Amino acid sequence: MIEDDRPHDATTQNARTAHAGRRPSETAPAAGAPWRERRRAVVLAALLFLQTFCTVFFIGDVVGDVIVEGVDIHIAFEAAVAGALAVGVVFAGLEMRRTIDRSRRAEAAVSVASGAFADLISAQFRSWNLTPAESDVALFALKGFDIAEIAELRGSAPGTVRAQLARVYAKAGVSSRTQLLAVFTDELLAGALPGLGMRSTVSSATGGQSASQPPPP
Amino acid sequence: MAAVNATAASGPVWDPIVRVTHWATALAITVNGLITEGGSTLHLWVGYSALALLVLRLLWGVIGPEEARFSSFPPSVAGAIAHVRDLAAGRHRSHPSHNPAGSLMVYALWATLGLTVATGVFLQTEPFPVSPAAASSAEERHGWAVEPLDRDERDDEDETVELVEEIHELAANLLLILAALHVAGVAVESRLSGRNLVRAMIDGAPTGRSGE
Repeated sequence: MIEDDRPHDATTQNARTAHAGRRPSETAPAAGAPWRERRRAVVLAALLFLQTFCTVFFIGDVVGDVIVEGVDIHIAFEAAVAGALAVGVVFAGLEMRRTIDRSRRAEAAVSVASGAFADLISAQFRSWNLTPAESDVALFALKGFDIAEIAELRGSAPGTVRAQLARVYAKAGVSSRTQLLAVFTDELLAGALPGLGMRSTVSSATGGQSASQPPPP
Repeated sequence: MAAVNATAASGPVWDPIVRVTHWATALAITVNGLITEGGSTLHLWVGYSALALLVLRLLWGVIGPEEARFSSFPPSVAGAIAHVRDLAAGRHRSHPSHNPAGSLMVYALWATLGLTVATGVFLQTEPFPVSPAAASSAEERHGWAVEPLDRDERDDEDETVELVEEIHELAANLLLILAALHVAGVAVESRLSGRNLVRAMIDGAPTGRSGE
């Protein structure tokens, strides 16, 4: 999956800064599931139309019957059926409205979250005084590319990338790629856990450890 | 809130109800206005479909999402004129729903469609759902197509029926003219604003500037 994207990404992303690296991750989720979601919504809309059509049909029938024959039990029952259909249409519409609102909120939340994470990364890179080339390399490293791949993507020698990555680690005060990634995931989880009510369990579980050795910065 | 801001920046994201009712109504108007014979069974079915579509869209104007509600595109002649002037001057402002000129057209189309459908329902002497097939075969036998010949026995209503039929045809023709103007307006707006309004109505995607 990632392999397929690389050749044309290599040419377009070559000279770009770390910020441009956001693009693939932004476009990726727009491809599969939402499309299915949208088709589902269109089918639901068509069904709602069918329901409305039937309601119009039955109400027309009842009104016609009342005009021609007057009200009897049969027509009164038909009127009740038509009324129930009409109420059903309104409630199906309200339900549809809720579904649309929910999916829009979810989309907005995801884009805000991914945008915020990207902002966090570039802000952190700036605070470490990374050069544009180092930011680029660091971002590729965060995305999971190995040194040979990064070298190919950037059109530079593996040795250069290794040196740049070493400078990134030095500036960030970490000693490995995992620790570099941990700088960001730590921030992400620290914000998320209190909301989930999980912090207490985590800190109590690690409590014994952190007492003997101070947590990494 | 972020979603609302995003749509305000790049034009509305139309929900499926708006899109389905829009295109189905367009189809119904085209079919009944240009193809089917007035009074034929198909004409009646298509007409009732148009009524159902109108009812659904009007309901959606009350309970639908923000940009589909009447409150987000109030009819305003002054607003429409200002919008057209802005457009002509090359200024473009994004609107969270229909633009002011477009919303005037929307209300005009709905009113005309409503009138067409209402007169159409009135013209149908047999209450429609009883038995469309039988009614239509009777119509075919009596040669009832454009002129309601089988209503001759009811002389007192004859004049009313003729008047209603006149209104039906006038409203239908007005509807076709308005639809053509609407298409032209969308083409002009799309060209001048650089946003593909048709695509937004087809796939519900936000209308980014085409230059992007």
